[in-house]
Amino acid sequence: MKPEHVFEVDQIVAGYDHKTIIKEVNLVIPNNKISVIIGPNACGKSTLLKTMARLLKPASGEVVLDGKSIEKIPSKKLARTLGLLPQSPIVPEGISVADLVGRGRFPHQSLLSGWSKKDYEAVAEAMDIMNITKLANYHIDELSGGQRQRVWIAMALAQQTDILFLDEPTTFLDITYQVEILDLLTDLNHKYGTTIVMVLHDINLSARYAHNIFAMHSGKLMAEGKPSEVITSTLIKDIFGLNCQVIEDPVSGSPSVVPIGRHHINYS
Amino acid sequence: MNRFSGTKLKQVNPHIPKYFVIVLIVSFILLVVCVIVSLVFGSKMVGFDEVIDGLFHPNTTSYDANIVRNRIPRTIFSLLCGVALGVSGALMQSVTRNPLADPSILGVNTGASLFVVIGIAFFNISSANQYIWLALVGAAFTTVIVFGIGSLGRNGATPIKLVLAGTATSAALSSFVTAILIPRSHTMEQFRFWQVGSVGSGSWDSITTFAPFLVTGVLIAILTAPALNAMALGDEAATGLGVRTGILRFASSLGAVLLCGAATALAGPIGFIGLLSTHVMRLVLGPDLRFVIPMSAISGAIILTLSDVAGRLIGSPGELEVGVVTAFIGAPLLITLAIRSKVSSL
Amino acid sequence: MRNNSVTYIMEGRQQRRRRWIIVTSILTALACILCLLMLLLGNTIYPIKDVIRTLTGEQIQGVSFAVNVIRLPRMLAGLFAGFAFGIAGTIFQTLFRNPLANPNVLGITSGSSATAVFCIVILQAGNAVISIASLIAGLITVIVIYGLSGIRGFSIGRLILIGIGVQAMFDALISYLMLVSAEQNLPAALRWLNGSLNGSQMHDLPPLIISVFILVPIIILLTKHLSILELGEQSAISLGVNTDITRMMLILSSVIMIALATSTTGPIAFITFLAGPIAKRLVGAGFSTIIPAGLVGANIVLASDLIGQFAFDVRFPVGVITGIIGAPYLIYLLIRMNQRGEL
Repeated sequence: MKPEHVFEVDQIVAGYDHKTIIKEVNLVIPNNKISVIIGPNACGKSTLLKTMARLLKPASGEVVLDGKSIEKIPSKKLARTLGLLPQSPIVPEGISVADLVGRGRFPHQSLLSGWSKKDYEAVAEAMDIMNITKLANYHIDELSGGQRQRVWIAMALAQQTDILFLDEPTTFLDITYQVEILDLLTDLNHKYGTTIVMVLHDINLSARYAHNIFAMHSGKLMAEGKPSEVITSTLIKDIFGLNCQVIEDPVSGSPSVVPIGRHHINYS
Repeated sequence: MNRFSGTKLKQVNPHIPKYFVIVLIVSFILLVVCVIVSLVFGSKMVGFDEVIDGLFHPNTTSYDANIVRNRIPRTIFSLLCGVALGVSGALMQSVTRNPLADPSILGVNTGASLFVVIGIAFFNISSANQYIWLALVGAAFTTVIVFGIGSLGRNGATPIKLVLAGTATSAALSSFVTAILIPRSHTMEQFRFWQVGSVGSGSWDSITTFAPFLVTGVLIAILTAPALNAMALGDEAATGLGVRTGILRFASSLGAVLLCGAATALAGPIGFIGLLSTHVMRLVLGPDLRFVIPMSAISGAIILTLSDVAGRLIGSPGELEVGVVTAFIGAPLLITLAIRSKVSSL
Repeated sequence: MRNNSVTYIMEGRQQRRRRWIIVTSILTALACILCLLMLLLGNTIYPIKDVIRTLTGEQIQGVSFAVNVIRLPRMLAGLFAGFAFGIAGTIFQTLFRNPLANPNVLGITSGSSATAVFCIVILQAGNAVISIASLIAGLITVIVIYGLSGIRGFSIGRLILIGIGVQAMFDALISYLMLVSAEQNLPAALRWLNGSLNGSQMHDLPPLIISVFILVPIIILLTKHLSILELGEQSAISLGVNTDITRMMLILSSVIMIALATSTTGPIAFITFLAGPIAKRLVGAGFSTIIPAGLVGANIVLASDLIGQFAFDVRFPVGVITGIIGAPYLIYLLIRMNQRGEL
């Protein structure tokens, strides 16, 4: 099991160029759990994730890891505890899969050293988990979208952080791959106790895979807690403005949102 | 040409632009100023009396009056080149739907230069009549190549693709120009004269050689303008409005090539006039080509003539090539356009 | 199972490393051969024995002057300028993730070049002033194009277009300066527009050589950082790279080398653009292309200069040869990028 950390967001205000997007958010990330941030477009969920991963400097407030502001932790040291998979990572041209995954080892390496035994093991482990070891010597441009996403997650895994942030890891993927990626992340959490925080678009998948949900609207945290407590038709109406029924997912027993539009309604 | 301009097209923009009359008046005043300035200034300044003498009293034989008389063909020639390059730029911008299109940026000038150099070096060509045909072939050849390279790939020809294709082609061709020139000092002499000569080499002869190409090109531009307006909405929309886009594209590219090829053949490569004149006019008049094209012609003439005068003053006692002056004014405009354009449209 | 995976990954990686070592060795050997040829060939071909003896300080009638005063500086200028252009070019291409974003296209080399011409023609300045001034000009050009392209949201396309505009202005400036200089001669114009090794002199070289010896080790120390920057800003920050400082150090080092190389040889056409992609093609992906790119740059410059000097009846300056080689490659690259939809 990964060591315990205390990761807190304390009165964060953040945004871009004088435009405030996150307005005074407070939260504590539950340890060794999967948390999902949901909310409508432009509610600030990605911005929140970026602020927590120090990609964005908050205008005020602090992100605190184990009692220390993350801005005060040396960046390489922090990168050994906290990893992020961006929404659309950039693919360098013609690089092989193994070498790309190996770049996740950067925070563990010194300036000039080659790969140590530990590096090889970490890369092999990450690729095994993501089931891409056979692709090790392929060029990244030869892979499908789903395979690529697994490579990126493997890179984040090779970083061997206790906390892993993912910004919409399933966007642009077919439903099959979405489920596959979320299953793999769940494996990771079960096996190693990695704390996972991600932004997802799909409320139903979020409700199924998350231990904990953060629901956001207009830069504010509206609700947090277990999916069964948070996902209610009132909350969905409040944050998405959508009339819906919440039923029990027949597969997982988690809440599932069924939207009500203006047509095709066969009861009164 | 009527098949380009059905009645439907006239409805695209029936209004005369708001500032058209003012712009027209201002342009004509500037044009007159240009002519006077071009006659008066140079490595030797002449007085106003001499200008009058030179223009209207053919019997006066004072030294200054003769200078003025010598400057007359040069001035007319630079006005005509400006018209050609301005209209050519406007045509290229509409055909490619690319605000950055300009014969020099797309490398068409360099293509014309290369063919002229080949003519001088290998075929002993030395008269303007022969330059002009070679330059036209060179310009057409380069246009085809650059448009070809630029419009490959998914989104067709985006501005940046065309500019890059132009820059690359231009770099390639100018390397060949240099390579042909270095071993041939005689050719180099002649070529440098041609290249540096700029509008300074303008004579009554070159004006008469130029005229037929200029008239044809401008006629094509005027006739295709309404249909080009429709094509600004996209090929599909234009087809829907009854425009045959293939023929239209061919005709207006031909016009553009005739104009800039002939101007380059006679004056040497002069850059950025098309970009400058068209953008100034578009800014004031809006997108309607029926107004933009003629006004680009006038503003092209003004800009080129003023640049020529500036070149004479800055370079005094020699002359600074007009192409260098236009690059100094034009390049900042290119930069401004690059800054202002939307990221997605690049 | 885990061990199998480790072995599998290790094997693939060692294969790629072997390729890197072989390619780099061959490039180094080739550079040595070309350097030797630069010393041996000329109007008179001297025996190797004599050339080596003169290099070690012996005086041999005729040979000493030709080798030490004419051929050696020419060779060193080509070697170091090619190396510097190659490395700086590949760093820019990697940082901006676009082969077209190289110091040539962005107008940095013409900025340095125009300044060098200005110092020579107008100020009649000495070497030190020329070096420092072209260095400052290179830096200012970078700052200006970078600043301008960031005004309404940075995009690589904007950067390249602005670079092209800046380059057009500097080239116009060079033409103007050539005109006002009393000695408006074509060789000089060619040097400052296309680059040439003609007339390289020993006392012009120290700034360039010293900068290469100081900056290349710094760049090598930053190789790993550069490979992380290639993954994009967000990934790089989360992997613990201080992106602003790293990028600044890399750009600064590259610009210094480019400026000093340009003030020595002029902007030799296309080297900053060609070296990176060719090196990448040769060594394959995964390992750093910085040193191979430098070697490719040096090899192209030296080989082109030999071709320019001896392959034809007339002597062509090196920049004309690299232009003729480079431009078709640029067009090929554009076509390929277009087809892949990368533009």
